[in-house]
Amino acid sequence: MQKNLLFRGRTGYMPFSLLQLLLLFWLSISSAQSVPVSGTVFDAQGTLPGVNVKLKNKTLGTTTDANGTFQIIASPEDTLVFSSIGYVTITTKVGQQTTLKIIMQSDKTTLEEVFVNAGYYKVKDKERTGSIAKITAKEIETQPVTNFLATMQGRMAGVNITQNTGVAGGGFNIQIRGINSLRNEGNAPLYVIDGVPYASDPIGSGSSASIMPALTSPLNNINPADIESIEILKDADATAIYGSRGANGVVLVSTKKGKKGATRYSAKFSQGYAQVGHYMKMLNTQQYVAMRKEAFANDGITEYPESAYDVNGTWDANRYTDWQRELLGGTAKITNINASVSGGSERTQFLLSTNYGSETTVFPGDFGYKKANLHFNTNHESEDGKFRMSLTGSYTVQDNNQPSTDLSIEAWILPPNAPALYDEAGNLNWENNTFENPLRNLNGLSIAETHDLIVNGILSYALLPTLELKSNMGFTDLSHYESSTYPSTIYNPAYGVGSDSSLNFYTNTARQSWIIEPQLHWKPTTGTLKTDVLLGSTFQSQNNRLQGMMASGFTSNSMIYNPVAATTLRVTAFDESEYHYQSVFGRVNLNWEDRYIVNLTGRRDGSSRFGPGKQFAYFGAVGAAWLFSNENGLKDQSVLSFGKLRASYGTTGSDQIGNYQFLNTYTPATTQYQGTVGLQPTRLYNADFGWETNKKMEVAIELGLLKDRIFLTTAWYKNRSSNQLVGVPLPGTTGFATLQANLDATVENKGLEVTLRTENIRTTDFSWTTSFNFSSATNTLKSFPNLEGSTFANKYIVGQPLNIIKVFHATGVDPETGIYTFEDVNGDGIITAPEDQQFVKDLNPSYFGGLQNQLRYKNWQLDFSFQFVKQEQLSIPEAFGLPGAVSNQDVSVLDHWQQPGDKTPKQIYTTGANGVAEAAFYNYTASDAVIKDASYIRLKNVSLRFEFPKSWFGKVGCRASLEGQNLLTFTKFKGMDPEQIGVGQLPPLRVITAGLQFNF
Amino acid sequence: MKKFIKNRLESTVPLYMIVLIGSVWLLSLLSSCDSFTETSMPVTEMNENAVFEDPATATAALTNVYAQVRDAGLLTGKSTGMSKMMGLYSDELSFWGASNDDSDKYYKNTLVPTTGMLREWWNATYTQIYAVNSVLEGLQGSDALEQELKHQLMGEAKVLRAFLHFNLIQIYGAVPYITTTDYTVNSKVKRVAEAEVMDHIIAELEEASDLLNIAYPSEERVRINRYVAQALLARVYLYNGNWGEASNSASAVLNATDTYSSSTTLASTFLKESTATIWQFSPRTATRNTDEGATFIFNSGPPPQVALSESLVLAFEAGDLRKENWIKAVTDGTSTWYHANKYKKVGNSTPQQEYSIVLRLSEQYLIRSEARAQQGELIGAKEDLNVVRLLAGLPSTTAQSKAEILSALIQERRVELFTEYGHRFFDLKRNGLLDAVLSTTKASWNTTDAFLPLPQEELLLNSNLLPQNPGY
Repeated sequence: MQKNLLFRGRTGYMPFSLLQLLLLFWLSISSAQSVPVSGTVFDAQGTLPGVNVKLKNKTLGTTTDANGTFQIIASPEDTLVFSSIGYVTITTKVGQQTTLKIIMQSDKTTLEEVFVNAGYYKVKDKERTGSIAKITAKEIETQPVTNFLATMQGRMAGVNITQNTGVAGGGFNIQIRGINSLRNEGNAPLYVIDGVPYASDPIGSGSSASIMPALTSPLNNINPADIESIEILKDADATAIYGSRGANGVVLVSTKKGKKGATRYSAKFSQGYAQVGHYMKMLNTQQYVAMRKEAFANDGITEYPESAYDVNGTWDANRYTDWQRELLGGTAKITNINASVSGGSERTQFLLSTNYGSETTVFPGDFGYKKANLHFNTNHESEDGKFRMSLTGSYTVQDNNQPSTDLSIEAWILPPNAPALYDEAGNLNWENNTFENPLRNLNGLSIAETHDLIVNGILSYALLPTLELKSNMGFTDLSHYESSTYPSTIYNPAYGVGSDSSLNFYTNTARQSWIIEPQLHWKPTTGTLKTDVLLGSTFQSQNNRLQGMMASGFTSNSMIYNPVAATTLRVTAFDESEYHYQSVFGRVNLNWEDRYIVNLTGRRDGSSRFGPGKQFAYFGAVGAAWLFSNENGLKDQSVLSFGKLRASYGTTGSDQIGNYQFLNTYTPATTQYQGTVGLQPTRLYNADFGWETNKKMEVAIELGLLKDRIFLTTAWYKNRSSNQLVGVPLPGTTGFATLQANLDATVENKGLEVTLRTENIRTTDFSWTTSFNFSSATNTLKSFPNLEGSTFANKYIVGQPLNIIKVFHATGVDPETGIYTFEDVNGDGIITAPEDQQFVKDLNPSYFGGLQNQLRYKNWQLDFSFQFVKQEQLSIPEAFGLPGAVSNQDVSVLDHWQQPGDKTPKQIYTTGANGVAEAAFYNYTASDAVIKDASYIRLKNVSLRFEFPKSWFGKVGCRASLEGQNLLTFTKFKGMDPEQIGVGQLPPLRVITAGLQFNF
Repeated sequence: MKKFIKNRLESTVPLYMIVLIGSVWLLSLLSSCDSFTETSMPVTEMNENAVFEDPATATAALTNVYAQVRDAGLLTGKSTGMSKMMGLYSDELSFWGASNDDSDKYYKNTLVPTTGMLREWWNATYTQIYAVNSVLEGLQGSDALEQELKHQLMGEAKVLRAFLHFNLIQIYGAVPYITTTDYTVNSKVKRVAEAEVMDHIIAELEEASDLLNIAYPSEERVRINRYVAQALLARVYLYNGNWGEASNSASAVLNATDTYSSSTTLASTFLKESTATIWQFSPRTATRNTDEGATFIFNSGPPPQVALSESLVLAFEAGDLRKENWIKAVTDGTSTWYHANKYKKVGNSTPQQEYSIVLRLSEQYLIRSEARAQQGELIGAKEDLNVVRLLAGLPSTTAQSKAEILSALIQERRVELFTEYGHRFFDLKRNGLLDAVLSTTKASWNTTDAFLPLPQEELLLNSNLLPQNPGY
């Protein structure tokens, strides 16, 4: 306290240059009197905590706190020594200085001592033989997002992530090195959080999560602010140790851990808003009414039908509403509060952090998403360092409250002269039963509540200096409630529907899992050969229970959440399943003179998802690396600071098929007949299916130039998936949509990934770092025996990617008839599917990547990141609603055919009475004319931070930040967002937040 | 002393641990106690063999097919069912909803192979057929069930299979006739000519008729007995032009006077206790009425979805009690619209009042009348026709010649069977009147619209179903 008072009022922080510092040393006059000296330590990224500060030749010492500051009593003759792992040690004489600013430079290379998490083991980045991409808290913290998958978008080579919906609490799709499985749901990577596999299989059900385009993903439970690093394992060398679950890559999440040192407190508060960033250009009233009238005229209809309210005078023909802005144009408010405390002694450390976030909606009305989270970690080791333990956990609560229906489609198709939403009394306007008011949908809610606990413990004991016995134990406990309600008020009162017809679909999901993984680590060194051996086994069990209910017929709509008040209560779904998983795995790593490294990994897996005789399989990989920069000839030169050639080959698998698929059973139906619950066949029976195998090969070169200020990694890979475990789509005549079976087809993914990191400028006041990643990939169906005779005959083509669409080839508009024309492939004079639907469009991105920049000038730090994707997608605005019918249109329909001789891109308007034109329009929506360039470059993230000078808040460090996500998009795509695949979802929102963080 | 113990521990514990714990650990690592991967039978499922060993579960497997047929596909009373959709497709109903609704395409006869409802109908119907086949295979393989129950269940299953296929050929023309659960066969099936499907249907119904008892197998008239098989046979024979058989089958039902008798009033025809009912569906719950109620009834205009077409409303003769009892006017002061009012209840009521009726006695009179007229038994034909007319408060028919009677029957069927399972469309079709009647009232009617297109995806998944129906 005394010290603090002393410092206050003294020289505060001043931006010294090194020259000034040297000058001060020179001028300093020695004095034997000890005085308090304080200061701040920085590195290229900002303040640096945990730096050892010692007086040379004396015992006195301290470490810098969370804000990089220190205080020490020293005399002017003393020399201060600043040291920290990964940095060049700095010594400086105290002299007359009482306030110091120290800039630490990282030592030799940026790679030195950087470890990456490979799951069961950690490996020095420069010694790894596998392909592992990584982002850390530093990149995660700058992004105002709630789902951790969003933080990786555009930042990792080979990892393609897209957002499903802009509705808060929605999910993401992730693909690591392309599509391996013919099953859409079989392409998810394995997620491991602090060593505990985390089931990413969706929870809840479609009927009770009505606003979401996909089932709820449990991954929203992971709080980005708690993450220390995310590593993605890509090649066989890295993933084979995960055996049957590594086929689609592995996502390893490491949460923040306690660090030794004085107790540090941190609090962050941020607030901002989110909006739809871009709207489609739709017709205005004048254009729309003209289109409709022309359509009727074309169809020879002179008297407008009674139901044509938009043109027959029922609705005001001059009224104009921009329905996109009216229904989707709101501003969602975002709040985020984070507080943490951490610290600990040499032997015991702790961390406790808590987070609260909320996001309202862009739809009209009072909706929102809330998330609260508690995260903890304690580590302890015994006096002799032999016994170590660690306990990490987090508990997350999510509460999501959204309308039951996404208003996006209505916002697009509502005629621009549709009536006002509210009448004069403020009630929903039904305009005398002529208007299906879109806000009716807001009377129904789609709500979700999720509670999730993930706990992980690690115990280890060093039996010998080279032999460690270790066990990883963990459990997860998730419970989820979701409900979608359809009260009678979502209908026009004219239908006379009362609360006795109100509905509530709700689903409860509970999922628990536990895992025990005993392991032995042995690290002997013989001469110049370092060996690292790991042997372990896994026992994992997962239980899932899901109950879906439909409650209907309520006494009053206000009782809609109380099933007791329902006259009818029906169980719509019940599932109780058990998944057991058992393996033995191992790794042998041989490192000779830090030059030649060989890494062998293997696993024997057993899964309860397969029938007798099909449960077990072996997987394995070999990886090798040659650190040629450590060869004698290359060691002592200044250009090439690091050089490594690595390669790997191996097999992994996939068992993502759901439980019990091999049984021949009947299941109770959800409906009754004469008061008796029926029994229905569960599935088409086939017990004879086994593992899907995925063979992966990779060759990569890593080069560091100029003390690694330029660091380049180039990787080429080829993965082949065979024995496809597929839900073979079957024609309806089989009674089922799919059959579970192994299909003897091969899918190949190959590609090139380049990452380049450069430190462009590195001075004391100014630094600039750039990272660039680029992925180019091709996906090919290599073989498919009897494809022609199979049920996939019209879906896939050998030699083409999986994600293709077969379309008609549009040849324009016939200038005489004004009708779209198509190539008649079989020449039979008529356009029919599938015969004429023979043109192939590849919907995979041909390349994608990102560019990140980090600039620091004195107390300012600016991060900005671009994401780019080259792809073709369905041009959404051109693929819905018949131009001329009651549906607003994209402005491109204005350029349409009107009279013989017109040469236009769009055909004649029709209300639907012209069957030929209507059929041609639907063919057009299934033609190559609507598959258009949807490439984009997006300013994905900008973060500006300012570190307030120390003197402003005394001991409290303060940082202000301004962050933005999805700020700018450059694209030719006409829909709301090129990232979004599919029609009718709110696009990813543009988010801007401002925050303040305090550390003390 | 303390120090001594500590030393002892330090020197012995590592050895002790390596030898003991380490070996136990290694054992657990490498032990192949593979039984860990065996999980118990799921509580949510029941082994197929077990289902057909117990009369209760075997019956539940069959009655579930009734529930499926009631709730989805062609025969459901919901707004997705044939009663509404084929009503729109022909000239019974007009459509007032949104133009992006599939219903609008039915109404305007602008269906395309990708229209979602077509696939829904197709898949739902074949899922129902699969369930029937699974029951039949399960019953054949079962030794535990008594012969009588087995026959009853097999009879019901066969009638369901025949009836589902019968509706499919009316809609799509030639379709596969599926009699197995084997997906290797069913995924590559070909279309079978209509006449051949008809032969299968007739054989199946005849067989079922022998297996079934005349008594209903359970309470109410919600499951199939021998008369249901015969009533359907009457219809199938009529459609097939087998006049004598049609007449005989209808007579078999009409002569069962201790079971069936015409309702005394039109108001009671569609009540669940009606003695004119041959087969009806048991609703989803104990308080629910029909789905047809919600599909057709509206309380204020303009109609939100469908209303009766003007031509149908005008088709009722003066004094026809059906106009008062079975249709209802709704007005907003200036315009008037009509909805079908055969079923008067929407949603729940206690007690239940109405079930969806699949087969009723009037149709049997009309079938026999037509079959008799075709065979020249004009007096008998008129008698049967007059039974229906009399009940509607109308005088005896003035038709005299065979042609006149047949023509009067088309009119009578129109006002008697409207909004019931697409009768109107089927009648026009089998009498070759589609073009003559519909091209006058429907702007975009084409001759090829007589058959609906096969679902696009289905052709993509099984090219043996090609070619598509003409015109699509």
